[in-house]
Amino acid sequence: MRTLTTITAAALSLLVAGTASAAGTEQPLDPANADDQLRIQVKMSCSLVEGTPTLYWWSGRVWARVPGEPNRLLFNVHGMNMRQCRVKQDPVRGFCYRSVSREVMFYLDPVTNEVARRWKSPWSGEEVDVVHVANDPVNARDWYCSRDKDGKPVDRSDNLSFKDDLLLEGGGAARLFYKSPLAGEYQDYVGGTYHAMEFGTSAASAVEALDAGDSELQDTLISWVRISRWLPWMKMGDRDGLVVFHTAGMRLDSWEQLPEVVRREVDTRYPSYKAPPPLDDLRPNETSWTVFKKFIDERRAKESPSN
Amino acid sequence: MFISRRSASQSSAFVFAAEVPSSRKTSFLAAAAVAALMAAVPATLAADMLDPAKPEDALLLNRKMTCSLEDGQTVIHWWRGSMLSRVPGERDRVLFNVQGMNIRQCGSFVDPKRGPGFRSVSREVMLYLDPQTNEVLRRWKNPWTGEEVEVIHVANDPVNMRAPTFAFGADGKPAVFRGSFVKGKAWTSGEAPLWYDNPLAGDYQSYVGNNYHAMEMLNSFTDAKALLNPAVRTLPSVSISWARVSDWIPWMKMGGRTGIIVFNTVGMRVASLEDLSEPLRSELKANYPAYLVPPPLDDSRPNETSWTYIKKVVDSRRAAKGD
Repeated sequence: MRTLTTITAAALSLLVAGTASAAGTEQPLDPANADDQLRIQVKMSCSLVEGTPTLYWWSGRVWARVPGEPNRLLFNVHGMNMRQCRVKQDPVRGFCYRSVSREVMFYLDPVTNEVARRWKSPWSGEEVDVVHVANDPVNARDWYCSRDKDGKPVDRSDNLSFKDDLLLEGGGAARLFYKSPLAGEYQDYVGGTYHAMEFGTSAASAVEALDAGDSELQDTLISWVRISRWLPWMKMGDRDGLVVFHTAGMRLDSWEQLPEVVRREVDTRYPSYKAPPPLDDLRPNETSWTVFKKFIDERRAKESPSN
Repeated sequence: MFISRRSASQSSAFVFAAEVPSSRKTSFLAAAAVAALMAAVPATLAADMLDPAKPEDALLLNRKMTCSLEDGQTVIHWWRGSMLSRVPGERDRVLFNVQGMNIRQCGSFVDPKRGPGFRSVSREVMLYLDPQTNEVLRRWKNPWTGEEVEVIHVANDPVNMRAPTFAFGADGKPAVFRGSFVKGKAWTSGEAPLWYDNPLAGDYQSYVGNNYHAMEMLNSFTDAKALLNPAVRTLPSVSISWARVSDWIPWMKMGGRTGIIVFNTVGMRVASLEDLSEPLRSELKANYPAYLVPPPLDDSRPNETSWTYIKKVVDSRRAAKGD
């Protein structure tokens, strides 16, 4: 599952402007300046100081939407993303950054709030293993820069609003529609394409956002929503229906601020997620679909070792 | 947009779907009751601060997230974002940008058994804008049917709580504030799954389908100290994130075609109508003069939703044509 990185990438926000002002000076950042706008983005997403670990946490609920029946609450969820960024100044492309991260999200029983291990599908009646989100890595595939390859400032200002004491970000969506790693070689013909929509919004202090001496927006608040087909581990096959995630959360200062259930689960089962990937990580991204493919392929190999 | 989270005995109001039968509420509230929210109460609470564990204080916290503790104080929420389609087998499309606003006020009530209470009344507009130019759309060519249709913007008057909410419900249940307190911030997060008789469909919906089917999602964020301080009567800073998933909007004239629409927005409380973004501010003044003020506190009209509103528009056009 691609969450914050995708959204951030989709929401990079810049305005055409004149002269660049450098971070670290007393001069406030200028929201009308392309380089500064990307700096504000980086302060929100990670930090102007390269390699600063950035922890985001969110929680909410997962609903099923099936035509012809009221929506059903399936799970509570808690998620976290551990990230760091590289930053650079390029003579042509201006201010640039690239993020690398790891991400987990746990499905919790909606009544007991315990981490779910097994789930009985109310539609198929089958009980299945719950495969939590554990995506390593979730990286930006390339640098994001304030100017294009010809040095022209990129205007992506639509998703940013400065108003009163607030900086609001978002309003667009990542429209994901690509070849599903779990479907066959003829998806254009018979369907099965990966189809999801993710959107995040953020709110932060406008004063802090424009403060050039402040390298991070430490109190950024986030909302994250995702709509997709059934999760593969639900084993819902071609059944009609969607899952809808709705969550709220914020940037945390430290590991200790995470809810106990997240810390316990990560400590026990996903210890590598306590730190971001290395800055120069070039591995291909993992999604819930690719993770599930590995999970099911390993299981099949165990069940029929001769195959 | 919902007005607030509140106790089980109370109605909710939404951008499109204000008139939700109380029997349909239970699933939302049951869900909310088991929601995975973090600490329900901040770790340290000064003696003179509101206590979310006390029903009377929980009521005030809900009221502050909804409107103002001052009766008759106008509170305006503004939001902007986009509306997309999701059709199986094709990439999602950005159909419109949107800008919306809700103008509201609250009044106080007292019940000898149920204690103090409040009720909010509001009006709400949301405009569909060209996703490239941000101009207010008047006509729209449906890319699936090829038909050009008239755009009917959201204009719901009123969007009210049908009855006051009190410190104790009719069943004696205390009011609760389901908020998260983290790092000096406070927020509420919830969903309202809507499933009821569609005012535009027939009398046999449980047999042949066509029920109204939508879900509204709202997060509201503010400063924890301001929220818990009873001397702060109106929250100085609130940001919101509102999303919605539903069947096609009736004016799109999509009939029974497969597909849904999704709204994704971000917004905040603003001090006055002058703070609204363009073109919403100008359009409101030019074409929606009634929406410049909230309804009266004693407003008892039934709520309007986009579906009931569009029914009136379609019915009046049919009548004019002599259909």
